[in-house]
Order: sequence, then structure tokens, then C-alpha cells
Amino acid sequence: MKLLQNSGIPIYQQIADQLRADILAGKLKEGEYLPSIRGLAKDLKISVITTMKAYEQLEAEGLVTAAQGKGFYVNAQDSEMLKEQHMRKVEEALLEAIHAAEVAGMTNAQLQETLSALLNMEE
Amino acid sequence: METNSVVKVTDLQKKYKGFELSIPQLGIPKGYATALIGENGAGKTTLLNLMAGIRLDFQGQITYFDKKEKLGCKVQERMGYTGPGSYFLPHWTVKQVEEISSLLFENFHRDRFQAICDELNIPVGVTKEVKNLSDGNRMKLMLAAVLARDTELLILDEPASPLDPLMRDKLCDILREYLEQGNGEHSVFFSTHNIADMENVTDYAIIMEHGNIVEQGFVEDLKEKYVSVKGEAEDADAARKILFTMTKNAYGFEGICLAENMDKLAGMDISVETPTLSQISVAVMKANTSLKFA
Repeated sequence: MKLLQNSGIPIYQQIADQLRADILAGKLKEGEYLPSIRGLAKDLKISVITTMKAYEQLEAEGLVTAAQGKGFYVNAQDSEMLKEQHMRKVEEALLEAIHAAEVAGMTNAQLQETLSALLNMEE
Repeated sequence: METNSVVKVTDLQKKYKGFELSIPQLGIPKGYATALIGENGAGKTTLLNLMAGIRLDFQGQITYFDKKEKLGCKVQERMGYTGPGSYFLPHWTVKQVEEISSLLFENFHRDRFQAICDELNIPVGVTKEVKNLSDGNRMKLMLAAVLARDTELLILDEPASPLDPLMRDKLCDILREYLEQGNGEHSVFFSTHNIADMENVTDYAIIMEHGNIVEQGFVEDLKEKYVSVKGEAEDADAARKILFTMTKNAYGFEGICLAENMDKLAGMDISVETPTLSQISVAVMKANTSLKFA
């Protein structure tokens, strides 16, 4: 995990983003416990409240559950929710491509052509 | 966020000539590191002394741990304190500090004390007396003696002050390790002038001025309550009415704004950042101080 001090993104947000990505990618499995808030704080050299806030955010998003006295474990990611998260990522990536195309002065037709060409290559 | 308090203070009052410490209600959150911040003379050492049982003359109530016990031997066994100066007698050697600590406390581990002295590079020669230790080494010795015991609460009065930057970094590691070992049962309460050095171990901040608590909260909550704002010189006068504290010069203004007042700055050309705990503390102290600022 790389945390940037001056990126304008709060540290707890960076931690939550990184862990969310790991959970959605399946790197953290259902039922697996996240590092303890104090252990993670120690390793990352930050305050406990920061890791706590990151975990609370993931809990609010339904990605993890807090077990009294034991820590936070990864929730079963049902395929509906996972699919939705992945769909959202695809939309975000496509929006980025659209904006980049605008800046480059591409027309919509040219953009769609490029997409088809790339899809063909991937196959 | 719900948290238990490891120390609860109720209706605390203590009068000195020209100064009064007055705290109606305070809870030190359990399982976290709390920083006590304030100007010299704000009452930090008084509060820590009362909490650590160094002074017993006060009105009000201080209770400790889950059972809300009052100060006594059982509570003091579970607490560790370090302070400015030294409470070891000047002619004691480090070896004698070890001897005496093991006599004074049930839960003092000699092997742990030796290991910590080694880790912190404290000169342990048999003839080295406390009075000949540097301020930094004396603080390290107090920390070693306190960490060699099994405690649940550390009360530290300006632990970072005599330490060099490298050792300050180590102190933060030590405190995080202490919190981790406790898994929610260990707590730390320390005062500091050097908020920046201690910021990345601080979970909860209490800011005092003139014997009163003027602000407190979890650091992440304070960083949402206050915003750091920078703007153009022509907007300075209008901004001054909205900002909590502000400084301005020919090039522009900067200051701290309460997040809830942010929309009043709409229309101004400003840039906005999350403030550091240091910036928040200075802003709160400025708003409450008798010290004169431009």
C-alpha cells in the first residue's frame, strides 16, 4: 500500500480505496480478517483513528463487517453487488476516454472506431 | 463514534492565585492516544498531575478504568507516568532505578527494562548517575521504567520535548506498539507543544486555554469540522468576518474556517485544504488567547 501525504486525498480515504480494490479483486477473501486497526496503524506509522475511519467507511459500504472484539472481516461479495461495482468502474473508465477524446479533438465516430479496433485486438 | 473512557473527569476545579482550572466534563477515550495541547500556563501540567495522582488537592471527581475506580494503589499499579524533570533521585544509577522500580511495583519486568534500555541506547554503566544524564536520556530512562511495567494507561507530560527528532519518531513507534499490544485496552494521554511531531500518533485532541477545554475531538472529526482556506487580498476583509482565524498580507489571506460556514465564502476565489492538527490547534488557541496578534 502506497500512501501519499500531499495528494489532497485524506489518508483514510486512500486506505479505504486500496482495500476496496483488493476486496473487489478477490485478493481479500470472504471471511478473511483485515489487519487490526492498531496493527495497521503501527505498520503504516499513522494514528489508530485513521485506520478506524477507513474501516468504518468500508463497513458503511457493506464491504466488511465489524465483529465485536475480533476486528473487521470481509463480507461475502454477492455477485450482484460485485457486478455493479465493476460496471461502475467500466463507466468511469469510458467517461475518462470520452474526455480525453474531446481534448484530442476526436469525433464520436472516431472514438467508437478506436473502441471497436481495440476490442478486436483483445479477442 | 461510541467509545469508553479510560479516565472520567467530572466537575473538576482547582484554584491557584490568578488561575483556575475548571473542567465540567471530560472523558479520555480508551484504546487511543490523546494529545493535550495548549499554551504555557493553560493548565496542562496541572491536569496531568491531578490525573496521575501527583497532586490530590482538587474539587470534583476523577475515576479510572471500567469500574470507575478512584485513585488508589490498585489504580496506580495499572498506570504509568512520566513528567518534566525527573522523579528519580539524582544520585541513583540506572541499575538502582531498576532495583527500586522492581521494589515499588508489582508488575515491573527487569528483563524488559534492560532490553528497552538497550534498544533506546540508555547509558547503563554502574556508575552513571541520573543527575549526569542528558535531558533526553533522563526522559528515555523514565520511559523505559514505565514501559517495563504492565500498565493500561500512560500519562506522559511532554514526553517529546527533551527528545531529538530521531527519538521523537521512535517515541511515536513506541506508543503505537503500546496501543497495539493492548488491542483496545491500552490508552495514552500525553501533553505536547510539538503537535506536528506527534500528529501521526494522535487519535484524540484536547485543546486547553486559561484552565478550560476550548475544543476537543477525534482528529479525523476535527479535520472535517475545520477547513484551511487561502484567498485573494481583495476578499480579505469580507473573509475576516467568516473565518475562524485569519492572517492577511499584500498577496492574499489564509486562515481556518468552520466547514459549516464555507458556503458564505461562495463567489470568492479561494483554495481549500484539509488542515493539519497543528493548524487547527493554533487557530483554536489564537481565537482564545490573550496573546496579541496582528
